[in-house]
Amino acid sequence: MQIKQAVEQLKALRAYAISKNVRATLSLHREDSHLVRLANSGVSLNTSEALTRVSVTAYADKKTAGVQVMCDLADKETLLEAVDKASEMLQYASPLNYSPTFPVIDESSEDRAGYDEGLAHISNEDILAYINTAAEGLENEDIKLSGNFSVGSTLSINLSTATEHTVVWQATDAQITLVLSSLQDKWEINAEQSAARLSDLDPKAMRKRLSFLRDKYLTCEAQQLPLGPCRVVFGAAATAEYLSLLCYLGVDGGMMKRDNSINLKEDIGKQRLSEKVSLIEDPACLDTFAIPADNHGRRRKKKAWYDKGVFTGFIWTQDAADEHGETATGHDVAHLSYSLLPGDQKVNELEELSALAKEGDLLYVPYLHYTGVVNATEGLITGTSRFGALMFKQDGSIVVPYNVRFTEKLGDLFGEKLRWLSSETTVYNTSSTYDARNPEALAVPKLMCCDDVKVEISNKSY
Amino acid sequence: MAYQWKEQLDRLMKAGAAYADVRHYPKDDSLFMVMLNGNMLSFEQGRESGFGVRVLADGAWGFAASSNMADITGTFDKALSNARAAAKRLTRPIRLADKEVLSGSFTSPADLDTLSVQRDFQADFLQKMDKALAQKGVSQRISYISAQSKTIEYYDTEGAKIVKHIRELFPAIMVRGKDADGEAQERKYSPPRLGKTRGYEIMKEEHWLPEAERIVRELNQTLTAPRCPHDVRSVILMPDQMFLQVHETIGHPLELDRILGYELSYAGGSFVRLSDFGSLQYGSKKLNVRADALLENSPGSFGYDDDGVKAQNYMLIKDGVLVNAITSRQMVTEANERAGKQIFTSSGGTARATAFYRTPLERMTNISVDPGTDGTLQDIIASTEKGIVLSGDKSWSIGSNREQFHFANDYAYLVEDGQVKEVVRNAAYSGDTLPFYNSLSAVGDESTWQVQYVPNCGKGMPSQVMQLGHGVPVCRFDNVKVGE
Repeated sequence: MQIKQAVEQLKALRAYAISKNVRATLSLHREDSHLVRLANSGVSLNTSEALTRVSVTAYADKKTAGVQVMCDLADKETLLEAVDKASEMLQYASPLNYSPTFPVIDESSEDRAGYDEGLAHISNEDILAYINTAAEGLENEDIKLSGNFSVGSTLSINLSTATEHTVVWQATDAQITLVLSSLQDKWEINAEQSAARLSDLDPKAMRKRLSFLRDKYLTCEAQQLPLGPCRVVFGAAATAEYLSLLCYLGVDGGMMKRDNSINLKEDIGKQRLSEKVSLIEDPACLDTFAIPADNHGRRRKKKAWYDKGVFTGFIWTQDAADEHGETATGHDVAHLSYSLLPGDQKVNELEELSALAKEGDLLYVPYLHYTGVVNATEGLITGTSRFGALMFKQDGSIVVPYNVRFTEKLGDLFGEKLRWLSSETTVYNTSSTYDARNPEALAVPKLMCCDDVKVEISNKSY
Repeated sequence: MAYQWKEQLDRLMKAGAAYADVRHYPKDDSLFMVMLNGNMLSFEQGRESGFGVRVLADGAWGFAASSNMADITGTFDKALSNARAAAKRLTRPIRLADKEVLSGSFTSPADLDTLSVQRDFQADFLQKMDKALAQKGVSQRISYISAQSKTIEYYDTEGAKIVKHIRELFPAIMVRGKDADGEAQERKYSPPRLGKTRGYEIMKEEHWLPEAERIVRELNQTLTAPRCPHDVRSVILMPDQMFLQVHETIGHPLELDRILGYELSYAGGSFVRLSDFGSLQYGSKKLNVRADALLENSPGSFGYDDDGVKAQNYMLIKDGVLVNAITSRQMVTEANERAGKQIFTSSGGTARATAFYRTPLERMTNISVDPGTDGTLQDIIASTEKGIVLSGDKSWSIGSNREQFHFANDYAYLVEDGQVKEVVRNAAYSGDTLPFYNSLSAVGDESTWQVQYVPNCGKGMPSQVMQLGHGVPVCRFDNVKVGE
């Protein structure tokens, strides 16, 4: 899609809204998505989607109403109807008990540093070559390859009837997951990669991880772990899962006001987590698909939300700030870009954990499956290990554990139970594909070690 | 349009495709209205339209979709080229099970299409609910209406022509409060099947106001309740929890694509193996479970699936023994080939896609537990020595092969020596799937049986949400680990 042409069409829609005396924001979301899915060592699905969504939110006094249409951008009739419909809906909207801020974009911006032509147009052949390299020699009659290679580009354009200025953002992204699983024994191991540009793709790194884990799963004894506390080293996926929940339940002002947060207003300025924890949100980090300007056109700033464990304040979106009498913090974007700063433990690779186990057994948990928030205000989270757990024993041996369940509080894991963080970080892609394409990633230490993590359920087999 | 679709499908066949289908959505309309603490925070309508093409060529699937009706030829070509590219890494050519070629239509039962009702009716309703929920002990009150109305036109190269008009309505109310320890507690209500239709006619104040009063009362009971004990006891699952138990630990593990490893990279697999059909004692003899896409008035009843196969009603678990799975045309063929024998005779007609831009896959229909002979809820309580009654899903987490689970509940009360005792808070339970179902000791009768709706079952990659149902009675399971 041509950006200039799309902007012009949105501006024409803006002119129509103004002609109808409709105060509105207009936004366009365009995705060009491609996903290759693998199962049983073959491609099970190869899919392409080209989708354009246009959203109109109308404002009047203390009311708002929105319409989203998915259609061809040349379909003017549908687009004009969206404006008319949003305006019409206002008469049925109940008034809010506060005044919503109408976005006034003061200057135009176009951020396309995260867009990579090569990744946007990667071919089917190149995707298959990547997969074949990553899995070379690792499959057989029993061990099969599964996975997803999701790649695409996202374009967003925002403007309002208040000014002619536009906020444009475009980025490319890829999220790759490859799984090796045993048909007979039902174990499964994985390797994942996030890419913002073509040069980020590294199938050999994927193969190296899959090969290491495969060797352990084929040669080491499998075991049911005893229930009770143990020292756990979480991999990037598991750390990112916990961190996402910490951001969701710990930093969002709107969630706090809904009694859904582990933090209260009086916690600002207090030591809430370990001194080892510094959580920043960095709108300039291209690896996490950051959006530098929010929907109101505000240039966003880097900020620590936990500074050496001290909680520094809440994020307020414009709507939440309006509702609760707070000041918006410039976070009206499709996704945020968090980084958990690294620690001082110079152990960054899986292979290095054996040496560290001399101090005591280490359970490596790369990934958490299907986490659930058992109690939001307590930050109590439950989830099961998946995709290649290993137990590094004090005697130097390695055991393959069956999956286990933990139910732990975020405040404990990132607090008194946190033993160390790796000295290097990696980018973990947390995008979901449920709705419009919205690439998200977190930068996290490669490994995170916690003490006294309790095994609550221990599977008897794979 | 029909002529144009046929022409494009014919063109793909001439170009070498073995099969193709197209789903055209002239409209997929949605409405979402949320009232939170007296503020209408969301009032949104949506319309999606477009088409998706699925092509089987050289033994592999290709798919392409577009919201641009000006690019039909290009999108069909893209689907074909995607299939040919996929065929370059193919281990087992895809073959579809035979089906009866059908033409027909289906319309969800709804007297009043929610999308067609005047919006001020809905706004008034939410305001009334908000007022009813604004009571002592309630710090957060939420009421919402989520509705969908879509038309799907389906054509395939085998000659099927099917039109479906799907209409859904998922309203709910919820209250939240803080207990003495500052922890949030909540209680919610989303209606089960209320009659023969599920249009806006179900939004009757005389039904909803008592429910609002009930959830506020039960929240206040929970706010002052002691914590749930940590021990082992019988759990008595009310239908608004039993449906989720069935969904997560019977429905998902019996999806044949999961069993065959097609969801391993994301949603997960299944502990069930092909060799288990006909012999695995999934539960006690009291357990009878069916996939019933003919159940009246449920989102899991849809007339025809997105393979063009007619909806069906068949047993999955009979007297505790596993006998069938949730199946589609592709998977039954592959399963029989891999097993070296015929396990499945034909597609169960469960392939559905959430939108024109997603591909069909095995989805639950109405995965229902037959009512039993152990009487009413009161009868089951009376025969329980040490138990807990659990209601309302609060959180859920399940092992990747669905082999174990952890659930937490909104509302719970203890049972001792056949008597109801105190309400407790922070109730949760966990267990291993097969031992849990084999500990099923009581199945309630028709009086306890409800059809619960699920608006948001997630699966697949690219990910999809699907609407379905579960008919479930009150059930009791023994020796279950209880507590946070």
